[in-house]
Amino acid sequence: MNQPSARRRRTGYLFCLPGMAFLALFLAYPLLYNVWTSVHDVDLGQLLGGAERFNGLDNYRTVADDPAFWHSVRLSLVFTLGSLLLQFTIGFALALLFARPFPFNGLLRSLLLVAWLLPPVVSGTLFRWMLDAESGAYNALFQAVGLSGLSHDWLTDPSTSMAGVVFANVWVGVPFNMLLLLVGLHTIDPELHEAAAIDGASAGQRFRHITLPLMRPVSVTVLLLGLLYTFKVFDLVFVMTGGGPVDATRVLSLYVYEVFFSFFRFGQGAAAGLLLLVVPLLAGVWYVRRLRREDEAPAGGAV
Amino acid sequence: MRPPRHPWLWTVIATLITAVFLLPVYWMVKTSLTRPDRILRPDPQWAPSPVTGENYSTALGYEGLTRALFNSLVISCGVVALTLLLGVPLAYALARIRMRGSGTMVLALLVAQLPPAIVLAAPLFILERRAGLTGTYLGLIAADTTLTLPFTVIVLRPVMRSMSPELEEAALVDGCGLPGVLLRVVLPLMVPGVVAAAGLSFLIGWGEFLFGLTLGEGPDVQPVTVLLNAFIGQHGTSWGALMATATLISIPVVCVFAVFQRFIVGGLTAGSVRG
Repeated sequence: MNQPSARRRRTGYLFCLPGMAFLALFLAYPLLYNVWTSVHDVDLGQLLGGAERFNGLDNYRTVADDPAFWHSVRLSLVFTLGSLLLQFTIGFALALLFARPFPFNGLLRSLLLVAWLLPPVVSGTLFRWMLDAESGAYNALFQAVGLSGLSHDWLTDPSTSMAGVVFANVWVGVPFNMLLLLVGLHTIDPELHEAAAIDGASAGQRFRHITLPLMRPVSVTVLLLGLLYTFKVFDLVFVMTGGGPVDATRVLSLYVYEVFFSFFRFGQGAAAGLLLLVVPLLAGVWYVRRLRREDEAPAGGAV
Repeated sequence: MRPPRHPWLWTVIATLITAVFLLPVYWMVKTSLTRPDRILRPDPQWAPSPVTGENYSTALGYEGLTRALFNSLVISCGVVALTLLLGVPLAYALARIRMRGSGTMVLALLVAQLPPAIVLAAPLFILERRAGLTGTYLGLIAADTTLTLPFTVIVLRPVMRSMSPELEEAALVDGCGLPGVLLRVVLPLMVPGVVAAAGLSFLIGWGEFLFGLTLGEGPDVQPVTVLLNAFIGQHGTSWGALMATATLISIPVVCVFAVFQRFIVGGLTAGSVRG
């Protein structure tokens, strides 16, 4: 190459500088500042006056002693596991359907994606209305098909509001799961299925012994992305229930929001928020290491 | 491959499933077109009759809705501009130029996608407030760009890698500097990738809520997502106007997706499956 490589490299660094500097300033620095806040006594007055006092692990202790915190951790687990399980299963079934060639396949698939693309605030508002007690469409639908036992004031009853927000979140997540799993299904060599069929394997056997094992790497990816996304969901739940009724849907992200922006207990909010940071980071690190290992393997199984 | 049996049967099944799945979206549009006195009924109508624009005029009559729509437009266009301005050169350098630290930067960009917005919103609130950035477009655009920039670079880098380097080298031999190569040779070739990144950034900026809620003080810069949420509290029972507002917010999303669909789906799967 004509251009001296030292100069080329210098230009390269110049190209990287603005973007990386921006992320350092608006992403890395705030996150580090959050760590700093978590070991200081900071409230709204001190924020403006700038008289924060170092208080060691006090904020962490306060958070750990707060039953509402552990309640929200449990709710986050229920919300995340419930969403993951349902959206993956439904997404997988839809991917199997859409893996077949049929007329208007692409169009219908794109239409499904609309659910995933809508702003979460819109989906939240929408499901508030769909699940409404008196005039919600789902209750009317249940009655129309003779399942009036299922008609219910889903979101204002503490024992069912979690089911309501999980339902909405699954609705949002299904198209994305389907899309990624479909990409995975397309990488499976159809000759494998044909050969097995000739050998007399039934559709169920082929699914269990060919499709499922070959879909494992993609499935791990999809579940992990689902975990990362679901664990941090805020807007959808906030709009649908605001964490209520009686805290029944106050997942961790809403708890952190409340401590921080309603009570202005910045130090405790920062301390609780770190848990919300640590879980995705651990999952992410595990995932990147796993990808690296697969890259080194001679025949990469991942998509 | 065997010729598929009963292809139309599968079309019918898939259509039914899609219809059931998209019922909420239909219901949103349907409610927005139904006369207010016919919405809250124990036996809802499945189609609006008569169709009315009343809810839309009510919604647009709410104080601040047009302003909020305008704000969202400014913010999402700003997010697109800032993301591309910072992201394209970054992705190009990481794709094409051998540098020490490239690997670390790519890893950092992957990790940058992990923090939940709420963990970032809290310190950003303090820091932007001190810097006088809360309640400004810039403050919101910058916050939203922390979501779009890492994603954009991760999507664009493989696209740039897959291009043959010969054209760039020829341009370099002809005495064109690296910035010139990027602008005149690389960018035109990767229009689909850039369009996908721009489309996704727009969608993220348009739908963003939490930063708008925490950093967008006052109606001057508040995005329409925040206003919709406020409406639920204030006008909780006027579902018609709420659904009209929700439909208005969804229209740009569906349009952007319809136009850039192919690119967006491609970028999406590329970015997330092989991030």
